[in-house]
Amino acid sequence: MAKYITKRILVTIPVLLGMILLIFFMLNVVPGDPVTVMMKEHLKEDVVENLRRSMHLDDPFFIRYLRYVWDAIRGDLGVSWKLSRPVTGLIATAFPYTLRLAVCAALFSWIMGIPVGIISAVRKNSLIDHLSMGLSLFGVSMPVFWVALILQNTFKGTLPVSGVQTWKGYILPTIVLGWSSAGRIARLTRSNLLEVLREDYIRTARSKGLSRLMVITRHALKNALIPVITVMAIQISSLLSGAVITESVFSIPGVGSLAISAIKNRDMPLLQGTVIFTAVLIIVGNLVADVLYSIIDPRIRVE
Amino acid sequence: MKRLTSLALALLLVLAAMAPAALAEKDNWLHLFLTDNPETLDVQLTTDSYTIPLNCFDRLVETDTVDGVAQIVPGLADSWDISEDGLTYTFHLHEGVTFHNGDPFTADDVVYTVNRMMDPATLAKNTDIYYGVVAGAADFYDGNADSVSGVVALDDNTVQFTLEQAYAPFLSCLATPGGSIFNRESTEGVEDFGVNPAVCFGTGPFQVTGWELGSRVTLKANPDYFKGAPQIDGITLDIVSDADTQRMMFEEGDIDVFNFDYAESQLQWFLDNGYQDQIVSGSRAGTYYFMFNTTIEPLNDPEVRKALQMAIDRQGILDALYSGEGKVLNTFIPEGVLSHNDAAEEIPYDPEQAKAKLAEAGYPDGFDMEIAIMADSTTSLNVSTIIQSYLQQIGVRAEIKQYDESSYYDIRRDGELPSYYNSWSADFNDPDNFLYTFFSRKNTKGRSINYDNQEIMDLLEEARVMVDFDARMAAYQTIDDAVVHQDAITLPLYQRNHLFCLNPRVQGFKVAWNGWSDMSFYTISLAD
Repeated sequence: MAKYITKRILVTIPVLLGMILLIFFMLNVVPGDPVTVMMKEHLKEDVVENLRRSMHLDDPFFIRYLRYVWDAIRGDLGVSWKLSRPVTGLIATAFPYTLRLAVCAALFSWIMGIPVGIISAVRKNSLIDHLSMGLSLFGVSMPVFWVALILQNTFKGTLPVSGVQTWKGYILPTIVLGWSSAGRIARLTRSNLLEVLREDYIRTARSKGLSRLMVITRHALKNALIPVITVMAIQISSLLSGAVITESVFSIPGVGSLAISAIKNRDMPLLQGTVIFTAVLIIVGNLVADVLYSIIDPRIRVE
Repeated sequence: MKRLTSLALALLLVLAAMAPAALAEKDNWLHLFLTDNPETLDVQLTTDSYTIPLNCFDRLVETDTVDGVAQIVPGLADSWDISEDGLTYTFHLHEGVTFHNGDPFTADDVVYTVNRMMDPATLAKNTDIYYGVVAGAADFYDGNADSVSGVVALDDNTVQFTLEQAYAPFLSCLATPGGSIFNRESTEGVEDFGVNPAVCFGTGPFQVTGWELGSRVTLKANPDYFKGAPQIDGITLDIVSDADTQRMMFEEGDIDVFNFDYAESQLQWFLDNGYQDQIVSGSRAGTYYFMFNTTIEPLNDPEVRKALQMAIDRQGILDALYSGEGKVLNTFIPEGVLSHNDAAEEIPYDPEQAKAKLAEAGYPDGFDMEIAIMADSTTSLNVSTIIQSYLQQIGVRAEIKQYDESSYYDIRRDGELPSYYNSWSADFNDPDNFLYTFFSRKNTKGRSINYDNQEIMDLLEEARVMVDFDARMAAYQTIDDAVVHQDAITLPLYQRNHLFCLNPRVQGFKVAWNGWSDMSFYTISLAD
């Protein structure tokens, strides 16, 4: 097991390096001088020159890349051009908000998704099945900003529509962000459970005289939830990175809001930092999912 | 069963949370929003975020809006003397002013502030207030001197500026946010001055006391403000980027002033939902214009440009997009800025005559041209599309080319951007801020205008240093007439009103004369 995990971790290193190169390359081939863009309507050649020099923008691309990687390894992602603070510090301040929101949304999606999936499977083709599957399909298909707007309009006055000064501020964003995941989990739980319920050993358990509830909780669920658990692990990393729109609509000062602001202001160091940070989260999330999967299901551990 | 219980519990939790939240508290704080974090608290480093400097710092002189007109009034300086040749400015400072941390304000702080701006290591962006204006400022910035020679403290309460050459707008420039005065004692050598409220001290009516990144900036009233304490306890600035969210917060009373500059898209909603009486508007010193790139054929022919000027119904655009809120302009200098000529010749909307003019110039069947816009600006797209359709009526086939922001600025800097629609609003009340910015030798290529009337460009340089007020204003009227009428380099479209929606409890709100979205909230009080 330890060997497997070490191997998986080692594989991520070249992935990370390649990814940084790719991001760095993409953001640096964009045409246009960043300082000119920063000055917008103001034309001041002397200022532009002075700033370019101080930001090392005149150095060759490869030198800048090496400097960036070297600094990044030591945890220094540069200084935000707009906010003039270290990018790592900005991300460290913002990440707790994103994490809190992602955890709330994940919990919401599990608490809603799994029971709904089970009920739908057990009461297959009933009204409640159609209703809940319809709702989950709705959640999966609707654009986040639209759901957000509808919920804000419905609950304004009773729940905060902006900011997370109190815990109540998390309620609407949690539902918005968690709904589509809940839908996905509900559908997955339902189809897996239905499949398992058709297996021979379930029939055996039933014929032993076990109650229906017993069969489902003790025998069927255990196997039906294996793929669901992996999805849940991957999902956390995607919730962490996918909250960009939700954060922006509800004014939550998380990593997503930072990324949006970086894009709007052409703040390259901050943009690079948030993209790399998010990518690392996804790599780690996938790693955890793989490891978790191999723990739960020994068949996966390939020799 | 367990699962059912947890489901029920979760539902209960959600329901409990839906119980009406306490209504917005009626406190004596003014609640506002910003669309993004301020760039920095250090105004020398930004040309963008002016709310902090306008409310927390003071300048030697200030611009005040009296009956909608900008006037220079005393700030930290009670009075000033200008030498006859316009080269020496002596400021007599108000005595007994203190910074937020209790330090006294002296002439040395002014000297420090100017030197800090021009020190190349500061990486300041507002350098043009002093660069090339105050003697020795450019030398310091370019590395040829150790300090700015043209600013000296004569004693604790007197500071003297010497200029390189007479520059009439100097006072107006000092009154811009970039002219804010810093405290040497608490600022010199402090690296996090711009990001840490705990070390950011001005002399202004409010003090920055908190900045939660991405969520809120807090400004507390300064009870010792030398012009008298503000009537409110402070200001909160919530950072809210989404326009619909901003609007809902206003509806809920969480925001007191809704600035439509930040969320133009919401105006219709306010008009449709009975807020007309709460909307206040004021004329804004800014020009919306269409600029021709005069090196691109056939726009290099002034007669062609004049024909295009006549083809566009400017009142029509104003009516269609802004329900007529604004005023058509026939000059580049808008109303509210010195030297604006109200009697300027009108540019008629006359497509027939435009067509005839085109035929005369050798284009009876029209021609193809391009209009440049920045890709993410819906306003530019709307206006440009309307202009495109007016041009279509006289046979000119205009193609709208979208550029992303950086290509746009890059190409424009090289003088090769096709003709474009944009706006410019006053930083300070002087025609120099408009005409020099666009049509001078220094700037005309960088804005892709490529103007080449040498006589007018000479006059533009001369007008900068004229000391006689009337002669100066006359010169600017000549220049304005040249670029709009005689040479038809640009088509001024209109100036628009600055719109706000106010919570009824807000009293003493005054629309500022200038073009910025940011303003001072010192005069505001709140009704119970």
